[in-house]
Amino acid sequence: MIQTKDLSIIYENKRIDFPDIDVNQGNHFLILGRSGSGKTSFLNLIGGLSSPSGGQVKINNENIALLSSNKLDKFRGINIGFIFQTPHFIKSLNINDNLMLSQYFLGNRDQNHIDTLLEKVGLLNRKKDSLHELSEGEKQRVSIVRALINKPKIILADEPTSALDDYSCEIVIELLKNLSEENNSVLIIVTHDKRLKDKFKQFIDLDAF
Amino acid sequence: MLFKLAWKNIIKRPFSSGLSVLLLASSIMIILLAFLTMQQLENKFNENANKIDLVVGAKGSRLQLVLCNVFHVDNPTGNIKMKDVTFLSKHPFVKSSIPISLGDNYKSYRIVGTDKNFLKKLYITPFKQGKLFEKPYEVVLGFNAANKMGLKLGDSFYGSHGIDASLHEHQDAKYFVVGLLDYSGEVVDNLILTSLESVWQVHFEDHQKGSFDLSYEKKHDHHHHHQKTNVVEEDKEITALLVNYKSPRAKFSIPGIVNNKKQLMAAEPAIEIQRLLDLVQPAVKVIAVLAWFIFGLAFFSMLITLVNSMKSRKYEIAMMRASGASSKLVLISILTEGFLVALIGAFLGLILGHVIMEIMGLYLTNHYHYQFSGFIFNFFELWLLFGTLATGIISAFIPAISAYNMDISSTLKKKI
Repeated sequence: MIQTKDLSIIYENKRIDFPDIDVNQGNHFLILGRSGSGKTSFLNLIGGLSSPSGGQVKINNENIALLSSNKLDKFRGINIGFIFQTPHFIKSLNINDNLMLSQYFLGNRDQNHIDTLLEKVGLLNRKKDSLHELSEGEKQRVSIVRALINKPKIILADEPTSALDDYSCEIVIELLKNLSEENNSVLIIVTHDKRLKDKFKQFIDLDAF
Repeated sequence: MLFKLAWKNIIKRPFSSGLSVLLLASSIMIILLAFLTMQQLENKFNENANKIDLVVGAKGSRLQLVLCNVFHVDNPTGNIKMKDVTFLSKHPFVKSSIPISLGDNYKSYRIVGTDKNFLKKLYITPFKQGKLFEKPYEVVLGFNAANKMGLKLGDSFYGSHGIDASLHEHQDAKYFVVGLLDYSGEVVDNLILTSLESVWQVHFEDHQKGSFDLSYEKKHDHHHHHQKTNVVEEDKEITALLVNYKSPRAKFSIPGIVNNKKQLMAAEPAIEIQRLLDLVQPAVKVIAVLAWFIFGLAFFSMLITLVNSMKSRKYEIAMMRASGASSKLVLISILTEGFLVALIGAFLGLILGHVIMEIMGLYLTNHYHYQFSGFIFNFFELWLLFGTLATGIISAFIPAISAYNMDISSTLKKKI
C-alpha cells in the first residue's frame, strides 16, 4: 500500500535520510523519534505535503512525485486523512460545518456519516458547538472524525497524543485504532510519546536508525 | 458551502468587515447622491427651459430673468411696460407671447398674473376641478400649491406682498379659488394663477408711486379702492413676456431687436441654464472626487482586513489544503469573501443613496417647490454595482494569491 525508498531531505544544509518502510492495507505502524529527528518531515513526505530531495514515495504503486500539484491535492483528499498535534479547524464554522466542508472539498455530502462518526467519538450532541468550546482531547477526537470523513485508505497522524493527558491519550488512541480498523485503512503515527509504544505491534525508531 | 464559509468568515470579524462595508457604502451613497441630484436638476431645468424660446423683461441679469419667470425661484429684474412689447406679439416670427406679472404670494406660493394662454398653450394642464380664472381675484391653483395650503374650490385667502412669504398682507386683496389643476410635474404645480388684471388692481397704488420695490417693507396705505380705480392703459406693466418662435430664423433676429431697446432685455432659457449648470458642475466634481477618495479607503480597508485575517487563518488554510481542497478552491473561497463584502457595501450604499435622496428630495421640494425623488433609477447604478464588485474581488486577490502559493508543509510544521 505504502512504500518509501531512499527518502531524504536537505534541512538547514544537513541531509536527513529516512528508513524504507512498507505498510500493507489495514496495518498500523508507529514511527518513534525524539523532537528534531525529522519525523514530521517524514510524515509530510509520505502524505505528499512536501517533496523529497531524493528517493520516492509510492502509494498504491503510484509514484506521487509524478502527480501535478492539482492532481496531488485531489489524490491526497481522496486517499489520505491527516491528524496533527494541534488540531486546526475553520474557527468561524461549528463542528458539523467543519466536517461538511471537508466532505465538500471532495464533492461528498453525507450527514449520516458525520453523525455516525461523531456518535462513535461521543460528540454527537455537541455538533453545533463551536470548536473553541472543546477541550484539547475533544478537539483531537473531532480531528479523527475529520480524517475519516471521506473514508480514506490512509490515516497519517503527527503527534496526535502528545498534548493530551493519560486519560485522553487512552481514549484518542483507542478511537484512532478502532476507527481506522473499521475503515480498513492504513494508520501511520509519528510520535515521541513513549506511552504508545506498547500499543502497536509494528514500529520503527528513527533514533535507532 | 463556499458562500457559507465566506459569510461566516466575514461575520467572525464584525468590526473590520463592518468598517469596509461602511466605507464602501458611504462612497457609493455620495456618488449616487451627487449623480441623482445633478441628473434631476438637469432634467428639470432642461425640460422647463426648452418650453420657452425667449424671455423678455427689464434689464438686469439674464439668468435672474430666466430663473424668476421660467422657474419661479429668483426675484424679478423689474417691470416693463406692456406697450413696449406689443410689437413682439405681432411679429411674424413669433408664435406665441404670454405676459406674466408677479408681485404677491400666499404662504410663499407665487401668485402669477397671466393670460389664458399660459394654461392653454404653454403649460397645458388638465383641470381636476373648476374652471379657468375670468374675473379679477379669481385664481387657479397648481396641484402642489393646493395640496400644501389645503385650499379647496370656493375657498378664499388674502395675498401677501412680495414673492416670498412676508407678514405684509393686502387686507382687501381677497382671492377666490375657482379652479384646481391636476398634477403635471412642471413648474405650474407650484403656482397660483390669476388674471393680469388682479395683479394690476392690487398694485395700482404702488405703480402710481412709480416704484415697484420687491423688498418692500415700507408702511403704506392699505386701503386700495379696486372697484373704483381702473388702471390706465398707458401704465400697464408686466414682469416678463414669454415668447415662442414660429420659425427658427427668429433666433437670430428677435433677441437682437429686443436687446437694442434700452428698457428691454431678452434671455434664452436654454443658454442661461447651460451657463448655470456649467457653474455648478465643478462643485459636483469636487464631491465626486471626495467620493472616489472614500472608495479608495474602502479598497485598502478591505485589502488590509483580508491580509490580516489571512495571517491568523494560515493554519486553517493549510488544513483545508491537507484535507483535499485544491489551491484553486482556496483562492476562490477568499475571492468570494471580497465579493461578498463588496456586494453588501454596494447594496447598502445604493439603498442609502436612494433613501437619503428621497428625504433630501422632500426638503428640496419644500424649499424650491420642485419635485425631487429618491426613487428613480438609472443604468449608471448597474455600472456602480459591477465596479464595486470588481473592486471587492481585486482587493481580495493579493491575500488570495499568497494563500494560493502557500507551502502547506512548512506552515503546518510551525507550531503555535
